[in-house]
Amino acid sequence: MKRFFLLITAIAFLTSCETDVTDEITLNGETPRLVMEGGIERNTTNPVSAQRIFLTTTIGFLDEVQSQPVEDAIVSINDGQSDYLFTHTEDGIYLNAEIPAELNRTYTITITWNCETYVGSDSLNEVAEFDDVYSEFEEETLITEEGYFVKFDSTDPVNIENYYYYRAFRNGEFIIIPDPGNSTTLVESDEFFDGQQRFGVNPNEEVIYELGDSAVVQQLGISEEYHDYLLQLFEQTGNQIPIIGNPPPASIRSNIVNTTVPSNRILGFFYAADVEEESLIITE
Amino acid sequence: MKERIFLLITILTLSFAGYSQSNHTISGYVKEKLNGEELIGVNIIVGGFTGTVTNEYGFYSITVPHGIYNLKVSYLGFKPIDREVDLTQDIKIDFELEEDNYELEEVQVTSSKQKQTASVRSTEMSVVQLSSKTVKRLPITLGEPDVIRSLQLLPGVSSVNDAATGFNVRGGSADQNLVLLDDGPIYNASHIFGFFSVFNSNAIKDVKLYKGGIPAIYGGRLSSVLDVKQREGNIKDFSGEVGIGTIAANLLLEGPIAKKENGEGKGSFMLAGRRTYADLFTGLVEDLDGTTANFYDLNLKANYNLNEKNRIFLSGYFGRDRFELESFLGTVWGNATGTLRWTSILNEKLFLQTSAIYSNYDYNLDNLRSGSEFTWSSNIVNYILKPRLSWYINSNNTLRTGIDFTYYDFNPGEIGAIEGSSINPQQFQEKRAIETAAYVDFKQNLSDKFSFQYGIRVSNFNRIGQDNVLQYETGNPLTYNAVQDIWEENEVIGTESFSSGESIENFYGFEPRFSARYLVNDDTSLKFSYNRNYQYIHLISNTTSPTPLDIWAPSGQYLEPQYADQFALGYFKSLKDGEYDFNVEAYYKEMYDVTDFIDGADLLFTENIETQVVQGDARAYGLELQLSKNRGDLTGWLSYTLARSERQILGINNNEYYPSNNDQLHELNLVGMYKLNSRWDFSANWIFGSGRPVTFPTSRYSQNGLVVGDYQNRNGDRLPAYHRLDVAATLNPKKGRKGKWIFSIANLYNRLNAASIYFNEVSEVNDVEVATGETQATRLAFFGIVPSVMYQFKF
Repeated sequence: MKRFFLLITAIAFLTSCETDVTDEITLNGETPRLVMEGGIERNTTNPVSAQRIFLTTTIGFLDEVQSQPVEDAIVSINDGQSDYLFTHTEDGIYLNAEIPAELNRTYTITITWNCETYVGSDSLNEVAEFDDVYSEFEEETLITEEGYFVKFDSTDPVNIENYYYYRAFRNGEFIIIPDPGNSTTLVESDEFFDGQQRFGVNPNEEVIYELGDSAVVQQLGISEEYHDYLLQLFEQTGNQIPIIGNPPPASIRSNIVNTTVPSNRILGFFYAADVEEESLIITE
Repeated sequence: MKERIFLLITILTLSFAGYSQSNHTISGYVKEKLNGEELIGVNIIVGGFTGTVTNEYGFYSITVPHGIYNLKVSYLGFKPIDREVDLTQDIKIDFELEEDNYELEEVQVTSSKQKQTASVRSTEMSVVQLSSKTVKRLPITLGEPDVIRSLQLLPGVSSVNDAATGFNVRGGSADQNLVLLDDGPIYNASHIFGFFSVFNSNAIKDVKLYKGGIPAIYGGRLSSVLDVKQREGNIKDFSGEVGIGTIAANLLLEGPIAKKENGEGKGSFMLAGRRTYADLFTGLVEDLDGTTANFYDLNLKANYNLNEKNRIFLSGYFGRDRFELESFLGTVWGNATGTLRWTSILNEKLFLQTSAIYSNYDYNLDNLRSGSEFTWSSNIVNYILKPRLSWYINSNNTLRTGIDFTYYDFNPGEIGAIEGSSINPQQFQEKRAIETAAYVDFKQNLSDKFSFQYGIRVSNFNRIGQDNVLQYETGNPLTYNAVQDIWEENEVIGTESFSSGESIENFYGFEPRFSARYLVNDDTSLKFSYNRNYQYIHLISNTTSPTPLDIWAPSGQYLEPQYADQFALGYFKSLKDGEYDFNVEAYYKEMYDVTDFIDGADLLFTENIETQVVQGDARAYGLELQLSKNRGDLTGWLSYTLARSERQILGINNNEYYPSNNDQLHELNLVGMYKLNSRWDFSANWIFGSGRPVTFPTSRYSQNGLVVGDYQNRNGDRLPAYHRLDVAATLNPKKGRKGKWIFSIANLYNRLNAASIYFNEVSEVNDVEVATGETQATRLAFFGIVPSVMYQFKF
């Protein structure tokens, strides 16, 4: 997909030119903000051992340092019935193995750090199952290299608004590439295929397999808010060549708010998702 | 407001009083001798001081007292005509002007084409005019002579970057320009992502751009009017022209219709076609196999004289762009417009024109990705009727009045399945509206020193059914949450249905227009103008999408009309008997209810656009200076613009003013054309512009395995300055030969001007795509040095 954008610039008279100017740019920084990653996952095929929340802070865009993990926060999640306290293990990772992941529940996270409190919630919606998962060999095209791709068929439930997020793993490793195609491939709403069976959906066009690789595919049922968040995330991270910034890039808003000092916003999304998973070994 | 109308009527009435009956009228047409083409803006002077100018049909009418007069007809680049007239009754005289091939061609880019001090004498200000000849003499940027690129060499006209669709006038956005091709509106004036404009320079006769002081006869857009007239075609002989360039080839045919004994047709036609070479990019680069990118356009114009007083015209434009990527996407878009016009000389003082126009801008996108193939199409159709009456009351007073009716049919989107995919067909709600405007425009020479042009335009925009309008919880689609500084979407609680023709929302606009000129002396004048304009349709443009996705949204329950007030002040000076023109203009423009995207707007296939945009105010102000050299071997101009364009919209940029995308503090253009001898012409232009606004990230973090940027201020940073030099040489044919060569080099010193600087995660290591976690800043430049050559042959 990145090739597609290179194409567009190539068409811009075969003379367009990209130059690395990292060393010539000085950016205005900002005071570090709290960043969270993670959420509640319900996976009936391959249940998670513990639910996981990861906390760090922002760093300058072109800084060549690693961000600092936040190790002294208090993280708890309420599932509508009880509070579950997450314990810090190492490097900003907070875990809890007790909290149940159940359909149609709303989960609310509360983080307290540096005397400020952050609160946000998301709901867990059921995801459609795979009808079939298989691999296919494809020749090189404009957008993709040649190789084996994992594809699936799935039937969308009728008259229910569904939002999907797809994940692909190769030999046990989750793969995602900052690619312009992500925003149209990795997340989808059923607006135009409500109640239909879809065939040959490629969960990630950037993940190419070789014979003998093990592949895992996940289809996540997510909330509309998380879908919109991911769409913005993929548009901004994948948009390698913004022909002109319109709509211009803007801070992607979290579903968590700072209730103490609202302008000191947190970044990242707290999600709840139902996960459909299937694995296979690539064969001819 | 009522008081003002009253005052206006009083002025109108008073100016008619004192007008005596012992006057006679001279009227007629002025044409080019070679091909019978009507000439616009020809200066006609009666008795040394009273004068008029031919209108857009080459018609003039002037009324003076009984007597013997010396009549002088003059037009830049043509031999003037002097004739003595004994005026004892109303007479009709047609003139034919012969092109002046012996004198050196003069550059035709002044505020008007009258005579040397035209820019000084005219009441109009903030107007630029370009002839197709000048456009063709300027260096070619990208393989084709281009009207809109040429306009950008003038003060106050710019574009956001080299590949931006449209152009910006005095800090206004691209959708605020009314682009008319023979009176028909053009909604997207560009081909291939904005690299070319839709105007084929062979088919164009004259281009006039109003940056301010917009007369009451025009309306519907805030910032400018670009009035493009096509050629009528040769009324005497059948002829043609073939042009072969590096990007496209074009063909022009013209000739008389129903030739009479005097060697002239009762009418004439012009047909011009242009096409880029088929699938230009295929095969050049291996990666581009399976790609199609091309465009073509057709221009047609025909006219026929029913009798001495009545003529009919037919003009049409049809253009298509195609961009396809095998098994990924295909898009086709284009404008089609057709105008049928009837002009009638009711008597020597009354000229009536009526145009009936059809216009369609459509856009089609095929998503060819496996598993979710679909086709999406949208269009906007207009039916327009414009009657206009011009009354040449006497040599000091001209009145134009008329009504513009426009019926709009917006089809925002229709989604269908292709190749047997499992997509549910879907039709977005069509939207309809009727725009009606009535206007009176009055030109008045009060004395030798003072002249005025003023008028009013009263407009109405009526959104009508059939429609189903969504109703939101609080009555509005969005609510601003001040604590979180964010726009929140409200719940839809139902729909309100409107039957066919039922009024949904009705808007009125009262648009006064005023221009004044004070002649300090023969070569110096001061001018002032004010205009208020309303615009009822809004362009919501998503240019981050790979294709130019343009959605036009009409005003309605959730979208207010935008309107603007502009004031301009000008100083005009003519030096060395018109060899040089110098002018300075200062303007201030306040715009209300302009639209912008909320942070994180998503537009692709979004039906309810009102949930993605918000409205606010904008202001633009600046100073424009221009020094032109009009005569001699060397002609050209130097222009400088100092300007600001800012917006203030709730929920964007912490509610503070932020620069518009087109904001540019300094802009300098130096344009020179040099005639070496009868065969060689040279031209060059140098452009300098200070950096455009851009939004750079302030920090980064990680999410879902990707590096994400965080942003603070919209358009808070600046790109580096833009500058480039273009040169061209034209080899004219020897006597008796017909071929002409044009050599051009754009961006001679190969400056890589930043169209954008973008920030991202390094995603490729040794040709393997991978998320690295490292970040970089990359500058994108659209073109370096671009040579081009063009061959033109006349027959």
